[in-house]
Amino acid sequence: MTNALGHLLQDQRNALFTAWLERVKAMLPPPSSPISAAPPPPGHHLRAIFEGILDALEQPPSEDFTLGPTDSLTDHLRQLVSDQARHGGSANETVALLLTLKRLITARLVTSTTPPEVDGLLWLDRVFDGLTLSTFDAFVEVREQIITQQSLSLLELSTPVLRLWNRILLLPLVGVIDTIRARQVTERLLEAIAHHEARVTIIDLTGVPILDTSVAQHLMKTIDAACLLGTRIVMTGISPEGAQTLTKLGIRFDDVLSRATLRAGIAEALQLIGLRIGPIEDRHS
Amino acid sequence: MKIPILRLGRILLVSIQDDLTDNDAMQFQSDLVERVAEIEALGVAIDITALDVVDSYMARVINDTACMVGLLGAEVVICGVQPFVAMTLIEMGRDLLGANCAFNLEQGLEILNRRIATRGDIHIDEDEDD
Repeated sequence: MTNALGHLLQDQRNALFTAWLERVKAMLPPPSSPISAAPPPPGHHLRAIFEGILDALEQPPSEDFTLGPTDSLTDHLRQLVSDQARHGGSANETVALLLTLKRLITARLVTSTTPPEVDGLLWLDRVFDGLTLSTFDAFVEVREQIITQQSLSLLELSTPVLRLWNRILLLPLVGVIDTIRARQVTERLLEAIAHHEARVTIIDLTGVPILDTSVAQHLMKTIDAACLLGTRIVMTGISPEGAQTLTKLGIRFDDVLSRATLRAGIAEALQLIGLRIGPIEDRHS
Repeated sequence: MKIPILRLGRILLVSIQDDLTDNDAMQFQSDLVERVAEIEALGVAIDITALDVVDSYMARVINDTACMVGLLGAEVVICGVQPFVAMTLIEMGRDLLGANCAFNLEQGLEILNRRIATRGDIHIDEDEDD
C-alpha cells in the first residue's frame, strides 16, 4: 500500500462517501418521467460498492487488477448493473458512477501530497480500469439474459393452435417464421391434430408480413406432415403480393384449399365436415 | 394496352384480345390478382379465344396467374384455347395451362358455377345482402 493513498483512504473514508453520494444524486436525471427512469440505486448498495472499492485500493499495488467472479464487489456491481439494464439504462451511467468516485479520490490525493504520489495514482488507475471492464462485462451478460428470456417467452406466446370447432383446428401465424419457430409450430400442430382428431386445419397467414422461399418451405413441411395425419388443410389470408411471390418462386400448394379470408376459410372448413353457420330462425321454420 | 376486367357478381371475366407485350402481361397479372383480392372473387374466367398464337412466355403468365388466383381462393377456368394453340402447347411438352380449360366462355362459366356451388363459403354473404 502506498502511504499517502492509504492514509487518505483511512482518514477521509466517510467524507469521501458523503461527497460521492452527493455527486451521484446530482448525476441522476430529475424524476420527470418516473416510469421510464431507473430508480436511484439504493444507498446501502452504493455503500457496499464503495467499501469494496476502497478495500481493493488498500491492497498492495500489483501489476494487474482484475475482479474474480466470486468477489463480493463483483456481486454488488452486477446487482447495480442489472437494475440499470432492466430499467433501460445504459452501461455508461454505472461506469459514470464509478468514475466520479475515481475523480474524487484523485483530486484529494493530488492536493494532499506535493509532489503527487505517482505510485498511488497509477494503482488507482489500474483498479478503476478493472472495475470498468467488469461493469461492461456484467452489463452485457445481464442484457443477454434478458434477450434470451424475451425470445423464449415470445416463442411461447406466438404459436397457439386453437380448436375452432369439433375437428377443426385453427393455426394463426403471426410474424416472421424462422426455422426454430417453424419446427415448434409443426410439433404443436401435429400434437393438436392427433389429440383432437382434427379433420380440417385452417392455417391463417394474415399476420405473416413476408412470404419468401424459406417461409414457404417451412410451411410446405408443416402442411405435408399434417396431411400425413389425414387432415385437410385450408390456407387463408394470403395477400395478393404473397400469392404473386409464391407463384413466381415456383411454389405450388397442390393439396391445399386456399381461401381469401379467414371468414371464407371457416365456412369452407365447416362445409368439409358437413356443417354450416346459419341464422337461428331457420331452425324453427 | 390495359386489359379490361369485367365483374359478374363475384365472378371476374377477362378476355385477352391481342398479343400482349411482356410488360402488358405483367400488368394484366397484377391487376387481376389485386382485383380478385379486392372483391374476394369466387371464380375467374380467362378467355383466350382471340389468341391465335400463345408463346411459352404467355402460357407461363396465364398459368402463373391461374395459380395466384387459386391461392387467393378463387376457382379458375381458361376458355377458348384454339386448336393450333393447343397443339403448340403440347409440342412444347410442358404442363402449361393445366387442367382447367373449357371449350368456350359459356361452358367455362358453367364449369365455374358448378364448382362454386360446391364451395362452403358462398352462403356467408347472404345475410349481408338482405
